[in-house]
Amino acid sequence: MEMPEYFEFCGRVNLVAGHDALEQIPGLLLSMGAKNLMIITDQGVSRAGLVEILVQSLDSRITVRTIQDEVPPDSDIDIVHTLARRYRKNTCDAIISLGGGSVMDTAKGMNILVSEGADNLRAFTGAGVLKHRLKPLIAVPTTAGTGSEVTQVAVIADPDHGRKLFFTSHFLIPDAAVIDPRMTLTLPPHITAATAMDALSHAVEASICLAENPLSTALAHDAIDLIRCHLPRVVNHPDDPAGRLALATAAALAGMAFSNSMVGMVHTLGHAVGSVCHVPHGACMAVLLPHGMTYNYHRTQTQLADLLLPLAGEEIFARTAPRDRAQKAIDQVRQINQGLHLATAGAHAVRLKDITDKNRQILVPLHRLPEIAGTALGDGSIFYNPEDLEYDDCLMVLEAAFHGEPLDRSSIRKG
Amino acid sequence: MIDFMEILPGRQRLKRVYLTLILWFFGRAIQAAARVDHGVKSEFAAMPGHYTFCLGAFPNGPFMVVGKDAQGRVRYLGSSTANRTIHLHLMFKSINLLFVTLTLQESTSTANARDRLFVSGDVPQACAVVRVMDLIQVLLLPKFLAKLAVKRYPDWSLKRRTLVRAMVYIRAVAGH
Repeated sequence: MEMPEYFEFCGRVNLVAGHDALEQIPGLLLSMGAKNLMIITDQGVSRAGLVEILVQSLDSRITVRTIQDEVPPDSDIDIVHTLARRYRKNTCDAIISLGGGSVMDTAKGMNILVSEGADNLRAFTGAGVLKHRLKPLIAVPTTAGTGSEVTQVAVIADPDHGRKLFFTSHFLIPDAAVIDPRMTLTLPPHITAATAMDALSHAVEASICLAENPLSTALAHDAIDLIRCHLPRVVNHPDDPAGRLALATAAALAGMAFSNSMVGMVHTLGHAVGSVCHVPHGACMAVLLPHGMTYNYHRTQTQLADLLLPLAGEEIFARTAPRDRAQKAIDQVRQINQGLHLATAGAHAVRLKDITDKNRQILVPLHRLPEIAGTALGDGSIFYNPEDLEYDDCLMVLEAAFHGEPLDRSSIRKG
Repeated sequence: MIDFMEILPGRQRLKRVYLTLILWFFGRAIQAAARVDHGVKSEFAAMPGHYTFCLGAFPNGPFMVVGKDAQGRVRYLGSSTANRTIHLHLMFKSINLLFVTLTLQESTSTANARDRLFVSGDVPQACAVVRVMDLIQVLLLPKFLAKLAVKRYPDWSLKRRTLVRAMVYIRAVAGH
């Protein structure tokens, strides 16, 4: 591994992971001097009965002042402003976010407002804008993918201005991330697959993008190893608590890795596909990951070759000649996708044109690819990608991902 | 109580002079390129009207302020941030870090990856400004230097490499 000349790493989240981890929450809250709780979640989580499990794990020392379960699938600024008013009205002093990425980001956004005593979240967009510690926030993930429970990032839509607001600050890292497999046991196989591929894409990009560093890479490789060992079994046996814990831990590790070394073009394009076509994030990541690896192959051959060990295991790594390992790592990701496609009876997409809604309508039509490519140019992750990426490059990769054809490496413009 | 001699931080006068000059010329070059280079023009076209951004070193500068008015004209607004509404700040964490980037010891993308700057404002606009900076560096610098500043040196037409580049230089010097 090559040492970067300089890097920064911040991983101060208190990670509490295990089969009865939820029961640790009262102690965590009291240690932070908080006991009046707001729980933020969404209706899917609420309907799945996960809020009751969480509330039952609390004890009499903690008062749940309010439970807010109105977070939409794409977190937006209106719900953040509404929740901040309710937090103040209920005189809460701590927050638990129970859900996936949208819930986590909503809670982070609301925490900015209630901690800064502000009414307009737009004033805090950007990197490094926050200057103070925020209110106690405990994140309890109900998917094993986003890693938002350990990251310093929040993305919140601003529908009035048709844009997404990005917030990056060490102060956005939750005080504690509580990983309990009871929270992910009910995830259906195709969502388990897509969210795990989201975590895999975090880990892979954290290892190959411009801000990669030894700490992020170590975490990322461990995350990939856990995903390789447990994902196939969990997709086939969703009620496996040990496997669920391993996948949720992998997502947190990958989250810590990318929170510090950031992500590149897989997310640049994935965010744009999601923004234009409202496609689940994990599905985009699964499809785009091998294309992103291929696009950056000429600049990241060493890092890609190193990834083969966690992606394929010792035997395949040792059997593969060093010069072939980078390409083999890409092939391995394709193979994982293909395996998940078969295991979920086709519900796990391997091409953009395979991503459909409940009525089997294509969500990413071919004619919207130019719009997606244009949107991608405004995503901050583009600067962390090893190779430069212009509009034509985005379109070329999107077209390959749409049809499921591997990128021709000779057609990639090299810097 | 022991009295200690107060140690004042170095003022780094030479670095400050160098950076002030570079940012002054850079700002004028942005203004010029926004009129004659289609790449820079289209980046600014996508920005909202009445939009001002500032590039500089935290906390005391030097700074470069550039704005787009309601008519879409791009102007270098000088080095002072006082009494201005600035929509986007790209602020290097110290004068030394800005110096490292503007002496091409580190590319813009490497500086970003190494967390050398704060960005306050909309990310899509920040992306556009960084692309403008890359274009300006390619327009102003000879290839062997510009390659240190950008990830991929662009394959431009002869006209853009010669005529447009000359016009940017002339207009930047003349202040048009």
